[in-house]
Amino acid sequence: MSFVDILIGIFDGFGVTASVTLWGMAYAVPFALIFGILQHFTTGPARVAVTSIIEFWRSSPVIVLLFVFYYSLPTVGITLSGITVAAMALGLNIGGYGSQAVRAALQSLDPGQVEAGKALGLRRLQILVLIELPQAFKAMTPTFINQFIQLIKGTALVSLITLSDMTFRAKEISQLQYDPVRTYTALLVAYFIVCYPATIFGRWVEKRVAVKGRSQGEI
Amino acid sequence: MQVGALMKSGSVSHRSEVAVDIVSLNKWYGTFHVLKDINLRVKPGQQIVICGPSGSGKSTLIRCVNQLERHQDGQIFIDGREIDPKARALHDLRRDVGMVFQHFNLFPHLTVLQNCTLALRRARGMERREAEEIARHYLERVRIPEQMGKYPSQLSGGQQQRVAIARALCMHPKVMLFDEPTSALDPEMINEVLDVMIELARDGMTMLCVTHEMGFARRVADSIVFMDGGRVVEQAPPSEFFTSPQNERTRTFLSQIL
Amino acid sequence: MKFNLAFAIETLPVILSALWTTIWVTIASCAGAAILGFLLEITRRSGRVMSYVMRFAIDFVRSTPLLVQLYFLYFVLPFYGITLPAFVVGIMGLSIYYSGYLAEVFKAGIDGIPNGQFEAAQSLGLKRFDIVMFVIAPQMLRNIAAPMGNYFVSILKATPYLAVIAVPEMLGEAMEVASDTFRYAEPMLTVGVVFLVLAVTVAHLVRLMEVRLLKSARR
Repeated sequence: MSFVDILIGIFDGFGVTASVTLWGMAYAVPFALIFGILQHFTTGPARVAVTSIIEFWRSSPVIVLLFVFYYSLPTVGITLSGITVAAMALGLNIGGYGSQAVRAALQSLDPGQVEAGKALGLRRLQILVLIELPQAFKAMTPTFINQFIQLIKGTALVSLITLSDMTFRAKEISQLQYDPVRTYTALLVAYFIVCYPATIFGRWVEKRVAVKGRSQGEI
Repeated sequence: MQVGALMKSGSVSHRSEVAVDIVSLNKWYGTFHVLKDINLRVKPGQQIVICGPSGSGKSTLIRCVNQLERHQDGQIFIDGREIDPKARALHDLRRDVGMVFQHFNLFPHLTVLQNCTLALRRARGMERREAEEIARHYLERVRIPEQMGKYPSQLSGGQQQRVAIARALCMHPKVMLFDEPTSALDPEMINEVLDVMIELARDGMTMLCVTHEMGFARRVADSIVFMDGGRVVEQAPPSEFFTSPQNERTRTFLSQIL
Repeated sequence: MKFNLAFAIETLPVILSALWTTIWVTIASCAGAAILGFLLEITRRSGRVMSYVMRFAIDFVRSTPLLVQLYFLYFVLPFYGITLPAFVVGIMGLSIYYSGYLAEVFKAGIDGIPNGQFEAAQSLGLKRFDIVMFVIAPQMLRNIAAPMGNYFVSILKATPYLAVIAVPEMLGEAMEVASDTFRYAEPMLTVGVVFLVLAVTVAHLVRLMEVRLLKSARR
């Protein structure tokens, strides 16, 4: 097989890679937003509980999380498809990191914004949705894009639970013909093709956010 | 590096009649002509105050004296020795010229005492005991000896700047440069620093100060240099400078700040 | 098969026997990544062309999954006659992967030193070597301590990846127990708990160190 053939063969697995990534985001984004906001606003025992949940998903190594959920859930009666388990484990792990970005973005806002909202008579939830989140969004976006890229890279792990993603396809191909150099180089290239545009996009967004941010005034 | 790196062949030593001699100095930032044909002569023991609107090049000028900025045209002599703006090693020169910065620039990870002894030990190769004695002496002169063991972040702005002055003095410089030393200080701390500078002047240190403190200039300066747009517009002793400025721009500047 | 808690606890000693491996692999990889990262950053400052080359190299490493890079090293190096023990390959892989991140830590650490420090040291007549050793380096080390600590934790959480290239660290031990007894759920959960406890503890220690450092700077 030529290099290009190998590459095409690898991209056969792109469907699974994309699937797990998108479903993973479906878990990651809501988790990050909800728990980031909760962590920012809660105090006392509630905050401890929220932080514990976040830390559970964030501090565990993602490969270990994946294995634990894939192998242990069936033994307590929960049977889920491989893709669901993977999306959940990867997504919530990423969501854990994302929640920190959300919290940091909210904390970095000028408290005067909230005060102005209150002075205008807005309710706290309205202030959050109408004033804080839109501004925090700018600060969060570059990190979210980074986490998205992390997620794509993380999908390589599903090859270890026999899902037919790009990495799994590469291993299949390398078993058909012993050519590790071409096969694994192609695999690296394949992920590069997928992730690099996102990296560039992320950098572009970072620049735009920084420029806008400057007009908010510095001391 | 050695003195040889600083001496240009054929330079006439003006000897110690002149501490700092700036001759036809020109400097460009790219195409921007920031210093235009500056001539300035400072005798030993003289105090020169340089003032002017922002952007006039006054900071750039004194930064050329210790070559934190390099000039492209003209000459600068320190105690008769010409500075070579292309020389890579300027440690010798810089040991003879002390500088006090607007933002103090104390080393945050070292104590006050260590800030003062670092250059003595590393650049002059002194033993710790000797260096500490000298440091203690100058810390006493700036009236801050009890803060020896503290870190800069534990001191007020005025105290930090006095430490910075002591640190520069420890090297026994021939000339002291001051780049807006009180501009970053809260008003109540300006005087403690100015008092130290006045004492220094009385003890005969050759000083070039860029400052807006006209009261200080009136008391201490032998000559006041007014710069605008990269040029020396007017230079006169305080008695003339404040009472009868010759140039229109000088008059405008004085009316704005006094 | 139902989950057997007793068995899960039984697997603990076997898994913990590899704890030391996990730790020293982390330390070695951290050191490798720091050295490589430092060299990358120095090289980047040495010229325009090098800067772009380094940028691209770091981007490539960051746009591809660690798992795939480990596979690449593990399978490709022997093909060219370089046979290294698995743990060396693992440490290499982790060092290379994280060197890009640490290069950026060094960059921020050096850039975070105010320019006036360099000028003040120069104006005192200190030689370049002395300026770097006594003024720049101590401040840089202070600046990078906290991010370094965080990456230490990240590398710790990445060590289980090495199980896929047969390095006898904790996940590897868990997988061995699993394949011996055909029970996957229990060893996986145990190793998951161990890693969670380890990661949270080390992260906590890192934060303590941060606080102590901040106190000593007395800001």
